[in-house]
Amino acid sequence: MKFVLIDRIVELESGRRIVAQKALSLAEEYLADHFPRFPVLPGVLMLEALVQAAAWLVREKLDFGPSLVLLKEARNVTYKSFVAPGQVLTVEAVCQDLTEPQSTFAARGHLDGREIVKGRLTLRHLSLAARGADWAETDAKLRARQRELFGLLWKGCPAGHAAGISLDK
Amino acid sequence: MRWIWFDRFEEFLPGERAVAVKNVTLAEDHLHDHFPAFPVMPASLMIEGMAQTAGILVGHARNFTEKVILAKIKQAVFHEVIRPGDQVRYDARIEHLTDAAATTHGEIRCADRLVGEVDLVFSHIDQNISGLEFPEENFVFTEEFMALLKTYTQRDTERITL
Amino acid sequence: MAAPSRQEIFKKVQQALVDALSVEEDEVREDATLTGDLQAESIDILDIVFRLEKTFNIKISQEELTPRDILSNPDYVSNRKLNPAGLAALKERVRHADFTKFAQDPDIDKILDVFTVGTIVNFVEAKLAAAK
Repeated sequence: MKFVLIDRIVELESGRRIVAQKALSLAEEYLADHFPRFPVLPGVLMLEALVQAAAWLVREKLDFGPSLVLLKEARNVTYKSFVAPGQVLTVEAVCQDLTEPQSTFAARGHLDGREIVKGRLTLRHLSLAARGADWAETDAKLRARQRELFGLLWKGCPAGHAAGISLDK
Repeated sequence: MRWIWFDRFEEFLPGERAVAVKNVTLAEDHLHDHFPAFPVMPASLMIEGMAQTAGILVGHARNFTEKVILAKIKQAVFHEVIRPGDQVRYDARIEHLTDAAATTHGEIRCADRLVGEVDLVFSHIDQNISGLEFPEENFVFTEEFMALLKTYTQRDTERITL
Repeated sequence: MAAPSRQEIFKKVQQALVDALSVEEDEVREDATLTGDLQAESIDILDIVFRLEKTFNIKISQEELTPRDILSNPDYVSNRKLNPAGLAALKERVRHADFTKFAQDPDIDKILDVFTVGTIVNFVEAKLAAAK
């Protein structure tokens, strides 16, 4: 599968709050196993959507400095309902603290206005170059790919595209 | 991609403890997005590996009569980055088990180093919730999971020589 | 060993709630409702009960907090609301909770809203006393 759990960023208050969306489709092959005859978004992928939303906020705020933004700790992540194919999960992450090496968030996901998942996240921010100068090239590749993906996800981004592209003349 | 996040049981003490291993390999598609140029195993998928290991332990203790689903992650802490070629070991123990729910404590190791800890709450669901209708049968414990458990319980005859 | 004082019990209950709900200590006041003020979900209640069992070395069955024989009893419930007999039976069974507000709209799906931090502390205190 493509491990991109955010399809679109809809709001971004730099360093403070991000709102993004994950649309679920039967085209996602893992759904055949989760579960047979009852396809629903796995809870850990709801968590991954929350983590990725928070990570985008960190990257944007730190100008893509850290090449790796990883989940360090998830706490009290509760699941209240399921996301079925055809539905869109809206995720919101509010930053409680953000420093160069680490950030913490209160995050939640909702479906049609109903909260269905919430939790607390701690992310770690790393750069490979800290391990040795020969990693600098890998860092640069990681950053470039992330900037590119961010441009696709965030329509408000200066380098991003317009919201709707009409096919009519 | 298949939604099976461990490869084999190494130990299975009914009602008590299950240990499973997962190989991390570049053959897995998702690693190439996470991240391009530097693949690392996503923490969320390690939580799933533990949830599947612990979930089968809990389900088995209830004779697979209930649909056991992950309801809460009390805590998941990670100490180290896991990379292709690594093998992680999920070691889950049941802490509480009742009609309604179960809690498990889990430790993740890589070559004997403690790389993560995952504490979970499982709920046993029966009735329809949130307007979604469930099928009657226990869809949680798929053929693949049952086969993994069978492979473990019949491990003495597992090796097939050519 | 002397039984713990109510204040000692409160401190441990407070810690269990802080750990289970990611709330701050100062939010966990005696009169705070678990599902209302502290935003606990029903799965959190189960988590909290397990933590209390472990901390205080007691057994708490779900039946002691939300007795199914009353809440699923057609003699006591219609249209998912408790009738006066049902409410009386509930008050008799679940001694430590204040049902005044609940009585105004005795909806069985809102039963968990009754439990305050103080109710839980009273409950644990009574359990520990009974164990002696």
